[in-house]
Amino acid sequence: MATADKVLVYDRIKGVKQIPLEEFYTSGHRTCQGCESATVMRQFIKAAGPRTVVAGSTGCMYVANTSYMTTPWIVPWMHTQLGAGGSSAVGMAAGLRALMRKNRIPQEKINVISFCGDLGGGDMGLSGISGALQTDYDLLIIMYDNESAANTDIQATGLTTWGAQTTFSPVGKVERIMHRRWKKNVAAMLAVGHPNCRYVATACATYPPVDFLNKVRKALSIGGPTFIHTYDPCPKGWDFHPRYSHELGELGVRSGLLPLYEIIDGQVVYTYDARKTGKGRIPVREYLTKQGRFAHLTEEDIAYIQRMVDEMWDEWEVPGVAPFRGTLKVSA
Amino acid sequence: MIKRVEINYRGIFQKNLAKKIGGDIVMIAARMGQVGFSNGRYSDAPERNGIPCKYFAFVSPDLSEEELEAECGAKLDIDEANISVVLDDTMVKGVEPWAWHGVRPINEKVVPYGHMLIVSRRRPEELVRFMARKPYPYYLALLEGDASFAGLWVYRDDLTHERVLGAIAALDPQLLSIEAVKGYLWDKTHEEHRVEAAQKAFESVRHNIHEVTPLQGIDWPYEIPKLPKWHEFSEGVVVKAVPREFHLGPKGQSRNQLFKRGTTKSQRPVVRFDLCTKCTLCWLECPDQCFDPTPDGYYDIDYEYCVGCGKCAEVCPVQECIVMVDELAFEDNRSPWEHWKRDPEGYVRWAEEKKGKHRVLPNVVTGTGERVVEVEPVPVGGKPKPAARAGA
Ligand SMILES: Cc1ncc(C[n+]2csc(CCOP(=O)(O)OP(=O)(O)O)c2C)c(N)n1
Ligand code: SF4
Ligand code: SF4
Ligand code: SF4
Ligand SMILES: [Mg+2]
Repeated sequence: MATADKVLVYDRIKGVKQIPLEEFYTSGHRTCQGCESATVMRQFIKAAGPRTVVAGSTGCMYVANTSYMTTPWIVPWMHTQLGAGGSSAVGMAAGLRALMRKNRIPQEKINVISFCGDLGGGDMGLSGISGALQTDYDLLIIMYDNESAANTDIQATGLTTWGAQTTFSPVGKVERIMHRRWKKNVAAMLAVGHPNCRYVATACATYPPVDFLNKVRKALSIGGPTFIHTYDPCPKGWDFHPRYSHELGELGVRSGLLPLYEIIDGQVVYTYDARKTGKGRIPVREYLTKQGRFAHLTEEDIAYIQRMVDEMWDEWEVPGVAPFRGTLKVSA
Repeated sequence: MIKRVEINYRGIFQKNLAKKIGGDIVMIAARMGQVGFSNGRYSDAPERNGIPCKYFAFVSPDLSEEELEAECGAKLDIDEANISVVLDDTMVKGVEPWAWHGVRPINEKVVPYGHMLIVSRRRPEELVRFMARKPYPYYLALLEGDASFAGLWVYRDDLTHERVLGAIAALDPQLLSIEAVKGYLWDKTHEEHRVEAAQKAFESVRHNIHEVTPLQGIDWPYEIPKLPKWHEFSEGVVVKAVPREFHLGPKGQSRNQLFKRGTTKSQRPVVRFDLCTKCTLCWLECPDQCFDPTPDGYYDIDYEYCVGCGKCAEVCPVQECIVMVDELAFEDNRSPWEHWKRDPEGYVRWAEEKKGKHRVLPNVVTGTGERVVEVEPVPVGGKPKPAARAGA
């Protein structure tokens, strides 16, 4: 029995003036100047509101938010093991259900949100998330993606953009590019593989404005397990001045490198249409050249990334989501 | 005898610089027949952009390497510094790397007649007025220059490293002689301009050393937070959440009282409320939740928590409405909105005086330069004009 009968009803936030003013993740944390992952924390809990319990896997958003015996969280928050984003969500949801069944706590809708980094969720914790997305619990898993294992000083993960310099992929004299993996397509992979999961989305906390807040609300009100992948410009690891972290997110989305979409009951809805070049899709160069981690890329490298992005939007069966092309021919 | 040098720097932005200075102090001291070693303060990791951090160098003319290591290794912080280098002068307002350090005075560790060496363009009294009063005299030495900032992957080769080494030789020739500094730089690079930079810094700093007496400085109202012992934690290591509290107006939002991390900033945003169109963007985009919505629809700033990222200034759509200004221009953290409400014209005059006529817009990739533009202040009652994004 899911608690779905007591789903919280949220209003759609129609503009910035309707965003709730109160904070539930507040000032006094040790994140970098201009950290967009901190903005993800702040916004998801603003959208969800105070009747929420949160778990967070090891990573920047754990370490920087627990400065020895102090915390910026106002809602109950728990640290969980790196890779345990999915299982901690299931554990919390199951615990709440059991407590309510035994009448130890009042019957009430309490949101369960578990967040994890791109390493903790997209690489290490993938199986746990897959397990969680096959349960009947109401829970939301947010993978905040700063494109590296940032907390341990910026190592490449399965979600780091091709060509980026990281501690694992330093620029060499012989090998210029040490990171040659294309970004893992986590959100779409989870949507395709988990038919019971009714809501999967990608988002960028500050662009377009209000979008991420509404995606969190949709995920929480649709019922069952849900998943959101956020792209978070990281001034430290991407090497740009903290002043421009909004700019970088916006450029990443507008260049088409970071596709924004929702998959609601199997229907793909694009948040930002990057199919048209020009006003819709700006050249990736405008995004790449504004980050020190790409300073070593040559013209050919940039052209290669541009080709890959163009292909993603122009040739994929479901642009930005699924790269397959299928033919159903029975061989004679 | 052991000489201890600490290098105070801004996390990530000056990490490579501080490490290079610390390492080279040891290498140069070794050329002079001394032993030494250098290391970063373990507790600073993981470093975050802007957070005050430390690097150490220990040198001894008479101890063996093992003895020196036994004396100075594996310590969280040092108890005293013969020379305390400060690579960004805004750190004189205090440093708080973690909640459990408290906001500490920058000159906490300097010994009687020891040296503070600060990279700055300010006059001594402009710095000492923010620093804690010490019960004994010490010296303040100034190396003229700007804080050298760069990104994580980049060492910014602007000669700050060579200049600091030359300056240290001016303060304590037994620790590093200028000949040894120059010999080392020459042997390592064969580049005359590096040797010259060290020599010039040596000469200029020798004439820029000022005694600070026990009468100078301010009472430092700080207490180092008391750390609970492991057995004092509640079961499951439970930490108290910030109490839920919100009302409109200054400090209306509850915040983590135990970690006011404002010492991260070297600049702060100054707001012209009279130009504000109440668009919400500064409030919405601040990663540190520093803006307090006011009853009349504006957004006040709690400077105790502002880390000076500059994001609010970048996203504000109104020209000249939010501008980042050097942190040393400010004495206190009082509410700018209350100031404006009390005295609208006086506030604008004050704000424009702080802002000055030049706007420094950093390039997007850290440490690769900046654009300086001259502006005319918008008068009171001036029409809000749309701003161009510096990063666009
Ligand atoms: C099982 C395990 N392995 C390694 C670590 C060390 N570690 C701590 S945080 C971290 C990086 C996590 O990266 P990500 O999930 O992307 O989060 P971010 O730090 O980028 O926010 C690592 C490897 C750990 N805590 N636990
Ligand atoms: S390293 Fe990146 S993700 Fe981590 S705190 Fe800094 S900006 Fe945020
Ligand atoms: S500079 Fe602006 S955006 Fe950055 S922490 Fe301070 S108030 Fe917030
Ligand atoms: S961003 Fe500028 S115009 Fe908008 S509310 Fe803030 S101060 Fe006012
Ligand atoms: Mg990460």
